[in-house]
Amino acid sequence: MGVIDIIMDSLVFIFAGNPFAPWIRGILGGLVIGGVFGGALVMVYLERKFLGDIQSRIGPNRVGGRFGLLQLIADAIKLFTKEDIIPARADKWLFIGAPIVALTSGFLMVAVLPFDLLVIKGNEYAIAVSRMDISILYLEAVSGLAVFGLFMAGWGSGSKYSMLAGFRNIAKMIGYEVPLGVSIISVAVMAHSLDIVEIVEAQSSIWFIIAQPLGFVIFGIALLADLGRIPFDQTEAEEELIAGWATEYSGMRWGLAFFAEYFHAVVGALIVSLIFLGGWNGLPIIGNLGLPGVIWVLFKTIMVIMIFIWIRGALPRLRIDQVSDLGWKVLLPLALLNLVWATIIGLMWA
Amino acid sequence: MVLKNLHLTLRNVYTKSVTRLYPEEIMDLPDAFRGQQHLDKEKCVGCGICSQICPNDVIEIVKSGKWYPQFDNGHCMFCGLCVEFCPNGALSMTKHFELASWTREGTIYSPDQLAAPNKAELEGRTGGYKK
Amino acid sequence: MTHKATQITSPTKPSEILLHLGPQHPLQPGPFLLDLKIEGETIKEAELKIGYIHKGMEKVFEDRTYIQILPLADRICYLASNSNNDVYCRGVEELLGIEPTERAKYLRVITNELCRIQSHLLGIGEYTTDVGFLTMFLYMIREREGVVSLLEAITGSRLNHNYARFGGVANDLPPGYKEMALKTLGELKKLVKSHDEMMSSDSIYLSRTKGVGVLTAKQAGELGVAGPPLRASGVEYDLRRMEPYLVYNELDFKVITQTDGDVFSRVKVRLLEILESIYIIEQCLDQIPSGPYKQDVMPYITRPKSGEVYSRIEDPRGEMGMYIISDGSDKPYRFRIRGPAFATAQALPPLLIGSYVADVAAIAASMDSCTSEVDR
Repeated sequence: MGVIDIIMDSLVFIFAGNPFAPWIRGILGGLVIGGVFGGALVMVYLERKFLGDIQSRIGPNRVGGRFGLLQLIADAIKLFTKEDIIPARADKWLFIGAPIVALTSGFLMVAVLPFDLLVIKGNEYAIAVSRMDISILYLEAVSGLAVFGLFMAGWGSGSKYSMLAGFRNIAKMIGYEVPLGVSIISVAVMAHSLDIVEIVEAQSSIWFIIAQPLGFVIFGIALLADLGRIPFDQTEAEEELIAGWATEYSGMRWGLAFFAEYFHAVVGALIVSLIFLGGWNGLPIIGNLGLPGVIWVLFKTIMVIMIFIWIRGALPRLRIDQVSDLGWKVLLPLALLNLVWATIIGLMWA
Repeated sequence: MVLKNLHLTLRNVYTKSVTRLYPEEIMDLPDAFRGQQHLDKEKCVGCGICSQICPNDVIEIVKSGKWYPQFDNGHCMFCGLCVEFCPNGALSMTKHFELASWTREGTIYSPDQLAAPNKAELEGRTGGYKK
Repeated sequence: MTHKATQITSPTKPSEILLHLGPQHPLQPGPFLLDLKIEGETIKEAELKIGYIHKGMEKVFEDRTYIQILPLADRICYLASNSNNDVYCRGVEELLGIEPTERAKYLRVITNELCRIQSHLLGIGEYTTDVGFLTMFLYMIREREGVVSLLEAITGSRLNHNYARFGGVANDLPPGYKEMALKTLGELKKLVKSHDEMMSSDSIYLSRTKGVGVLTAKQAGELGVAGPPLRASGVEYDLRRMEPYLVYNELDFKVITQTDGDVFSRVKVRLLEILESIYIIEQCLDQIPSGPYKQDVMPYITRPKSGEVYSRIEDPRGEMGMYIISDGSDKPYRFRIRGPAFATAQALPPLLIGSYVADVAAIAASMDSCTSEVDR
């Protein structure tokens, strides 16, 4: 036990005990965001391979060995060598700023997501960039920023296709922000707290997916709509709108925009695994199995990502007026119903 | 509802993928395949019927010893009419189809190149027709 | 009421946008220009402009002999190439006054039906990409590979077959063909039934396709549309049944119709026609007689007597016709092609008025036009 004590003491000293601690925590925060970035790279690779399995073909298999592991690096190098074109009728600052805003809102969301909770000498330390008391509220607020990024791209490109895509985007995202928010609040009501760490801790006996199955379905559909994945990717529909909001982007700017979408998808999967699937609490009855909590969080996130990819491979695309119908007429009443259910269960549980 | 789709696509994950890893694996070509033509110099009499019947004017009869046909692969559409209407059967179609070349002049096959033994068979790259 | 092609007017209100689904677009099977005037998401006016891929085929054919036209006629529509070849051969055979041999007739029917199967598979596949169902496209392509290999085994080429000759065909069936064909077609039948089930039960797919782009029988008759779009509107019009050519009067098959006339019915007609074609091929392989597959003497210069002929065939896309005037020499005097895709393409603007922008892709792809045949 002596060695572990020494390690724990030194960790506490590094991260909280010395005058440079805020700087060290800042660097660690950057590493966490970089880790999620790497997770997004893994997701792009997984998508290409798993989608190929569903579609009876193999994905990349030439670059970097038999499994094409370095394919993404080759694509990134290619994107860097392309010409950077800004259309003449584009609004320059909106055009340049749009992928930056989209990616930044993703970074801001990662800032509150915890990966594990360590109890050292009676104090709780969460492995997160920052732990707030109202992290769910913060998450909701920041996820609305992503809409701005896409609309800036749509309007600032100066072409009709991008503008139409921007309009569709706004209509879709406004319609789905409300069910998203209400289902998150239902979870917070059941856990009696707005702090994500406490929501995960409340799932140590039973996962919220079992306590609120309707809430999970609503959150899943609203999340897919917010991310812009099939069956909700009208804004990038290749048939009518060529490439939607990213039509006029080329080279690494396009790479950044494309990557921002996958980054959001990974963050969304992380959120699902934290608030519905139990986070670092292992499996429901079996428990932790001795593995550290971070491994469980990553495992569950990858499972959720695989489900996203599976849905992409299996379903066609909805039309934009059907998307709005689904959001306002079906999901919103169901979300409110779920809130009532969560309140009742939450009262009984307390 | 949408569950049948999800079920069928998941079942497809476990079936083998149909991608063929070209150029390591070559496809099985049937015997009737229309690839590069092969000239038998003994049988050719230089009558010029193949040149007259070609729809794209690909064949030109040139003098190389006797008079033999010369093919321009850049314009040939491999329809097979020249092979079918040759009165002595001097032309036949092989299974060689990897005919790209770096220069324009390389696409014109002289009679000696046509009469040479087939490169594809030499490298063992023709498949058999599986019954 | 006839539909006149109207010129599209410039937008008058600030809420109207003129959108060009222009000559270069990922959706299209070939280049054409579709101008749309939209307000919000609904389409007010539509105009279709063609001619971007005009090759002047009819004029080129006036300068080639009848045998030289054979491989070039395939390429009028490269996806359904066997039917082009067949209708041309029958036209010239009528001018020459000869009949193909019995075995050749059955072989031509087999290749025609195989060509119909692969064209329908590709048409449905292109349509499903436009609805967003990318996985189904790859499944259709995978199924199509088996059929195209069967065609390659007989004719020697996957796409432009150049198979029919005057009075017969070019090749005979290779040995062991019947077993291979029955095996491939049996697997194809199961897979097509499974895809049909998948598409008919998916609620997202149904909500996108039912009631969209309805073509009534009267409209179809006025526009000259034939083939699966006409049969999906309830009209039982199939040239194989009404004016049987080759050996279709000895074969047993159903004419598939549906009653709704919307996008869903058109795709369903194509799926069910694949199953009917498989049944026809199985009958042909059973009944095929032995004998010669081509005429004894095939001259390389043919001089039909002067006259004119119009021959028709049931193309996978509609009704294809060829009108040949011969003046006794070895080259035709006038060669006119009536392409089925021309009629289905011109039916597109009246269907689009009043529907959503998102439906343009579904409607255009369900008509399954091949731009190369529209422009010739």
